[in-house]
Amino acid sequence: MPPIAQYVWNGVVTGGILALPAVAFSLLWQLLRFPNFAVSTYLTVGAYVAFVLNQGLRVPIGWSWLGALVGTAAVALAVDRIAFRPMRDRRPFSLAIASIGVAFVLENVVRFIWSNDFRSYDVPVTRAMEVAGLRIGRDQLLILGVAVVLMMLAQTFLRRTRLGIAMRATADNASLAAVKGIPTERVIAVATLGGGALAGGAGVFLGLDASIDPLMGGGLIISVFAAAILGGIGSAPGALGGAVIVGIVEEVGTLVVPPTYKTAIGFVIILMVLLVRPTGLAGGRT
Amino acid sequence: MTAYLVAIATLVGIRALVTLGLNVQWGLTGLVNLGAVAFFGVGAYTAALLAVSGVPLAAAWPAAIVLASGAGAALAMVALRLREDYLAIVTLGFGEVLRLFLLNETWLTRGANGVTGIPRPLHARFAGHYDLFYLALVLVSVALVYLALERVRRSPFGRVLRAIREDEVVAAVAGKPVFRFKVQAFALGAGVAGLAGILFAHYLAYIEPNMFLPQESLFVWLALILGGSGNNRGALLGSVALLGLLEGSRFLKDVIPFLTGVRLAAVQQMLVGLVLVVLMIRRPEGLLPEKPGAD
Repeated sequence: MPPIAQYVWNGVVTGGILALPAVAFSLLWQLLRFPNFAVSTYLTVGAYVAFVLNQGLRVPIGWSWLGALVGTAAVALAVDRIAFRPMRDRRPFSLAIASIGVAFVLENVVRFIWSNDFRSYDVPVTRAMEVAGLRIGRDQLLILGVAVVLMMLAQTFLRRTRLGIAMRATADNASLAAVKGIPTERVIAVATLGGGALAGGAGVFLGLDASIDPLMGGGLIISVFAAAILGGIGSAPGALGGAVIVGIVEEVGTLVVPPTYKTAIGFVIILMVLLVRPTGLAGGRT
Repeated sequence: MTAYLVAIATLVGIRALVTLGLNVQWGLTGLVNLGAVAFFGVGAYTAALLAVSGVPLAAAWPAAIVLASGAGAALAMVALRLREDYLAIVTLGFGEVLRLFLLNETWLTRGANGVTGIPRPLHARFAGHYDLFYLALVLVSVALVYLALERVRRSPFGRVLRAIREDEVVAAVAGKPVFRFKVQAFALGAGVAGLAGILFAHYLAYIEPNMFLPQESLFVWLALILGGSGNNRGALLGSVALLGLLEGSRFLKDVIPFLTGVRLAAVQQMLVGLVLVVLMIRRPEGLLPEKPGAD
């Protein structure tokens, strides 16, 4: 049996992947005031965009990954324009329900075209490295590295650029920000594009790390929420930390409970956070 | 053909009960429940497991309702502590986890094999036309629950729920313990779903975890939004309309030859998602809108 450290390492990689949709989900929630259930389905969208490019058009995986970022961002923007924009002034729950409907449509479009089969990318097989008794895959390292860089870019964007600061202002108080001349719809469009790209990229990583199937994103919904809530809604670094913790607990947890209960572990984390520290690790505000 | 119609009507009646339950939560109180099928499942499994181990139905059925309702109350209490949005996630998660539990805890739930040999009440007495008897049982249950919930809606309790839905700050300022009312409304809705589960289990005499997939909860949502949320008549109408959509799309298979089973299911679910989104945008009040300010 591999040592616990192996499970921890696998959990860190899972956490790195989870962090991307968790940040997207968390920031969109803070900005638009509703939990967008379609975010985790954007992972599936991204994975299949890259699948078409990589297996259908024989594009190398790196370029396919970039294509997934662009394609998923476009899908996310289209969804926002068609489904969510007409409902901006509604109760948050109505939007949450609509987002479930959207997730359902996207997932079943994928299922209609590619059926329920498991698929994979055409990538060169690399041998995992042995470091201090741990098996560390080269693509795992790459995934983690790119995920960390993306998170740093997102954080820099939010803290340093005019548009990022405008986004935080709108998230804080939309009407006040609008009075101050911040174009709300443009801020929402940029956040949606960015969130879609992050989730789509994560979908390709997930396809590389495991496999591609229509439920791959939707099945992660609880883990993504657990990460976002653990980190504190609206906090990008919090979502990253939350995702790594959720990833590790889920992997190490399979030593104690059957692996099929992974989703249940995420659910228990959600309940614990709500009972013990409902504002999350990083959050002070509600 | 008659047998088919009776079976369909029975299942529509059972689904209508779940929709009535969701209407208490969402329609009256404005509380989201994305795991309606889970409370239905708790009711079905509790009744089935107790009944097959010899517990009399007079004890098994109340136990099933209490357990479904209690699960609803517990989840609502945890989720509603900070902000309402969490209820969406917690109920969704509960639906997923319950199904995993039903699949894996074989010692209790018999896992993927399901529970077989669930007794059919009064079967000997109505042998020969049992399905008709059962349909009558379901319809009477729907009628009784409908009348009871209409009373609830018009009662002072129901008025507080509607006030909370419209503006909970105002309700709180008026001295209403908002949190307690919300938990009670959620428990009531979950209990009604549990009752539907009981009828379902004893009707089929066999249940298994995959009858309680998360998409079933979405179907219930569509029924409610389609019919008109906040309105018990709307919940009934929506359940019938949903049937039309689901059964109707089944005939697509005869028209379009390349539709495989997987693709047909995908088209059906796509349709459900699409209609739900379009309704949410275009006609959130549904076919039978709730009358404003009435009673």
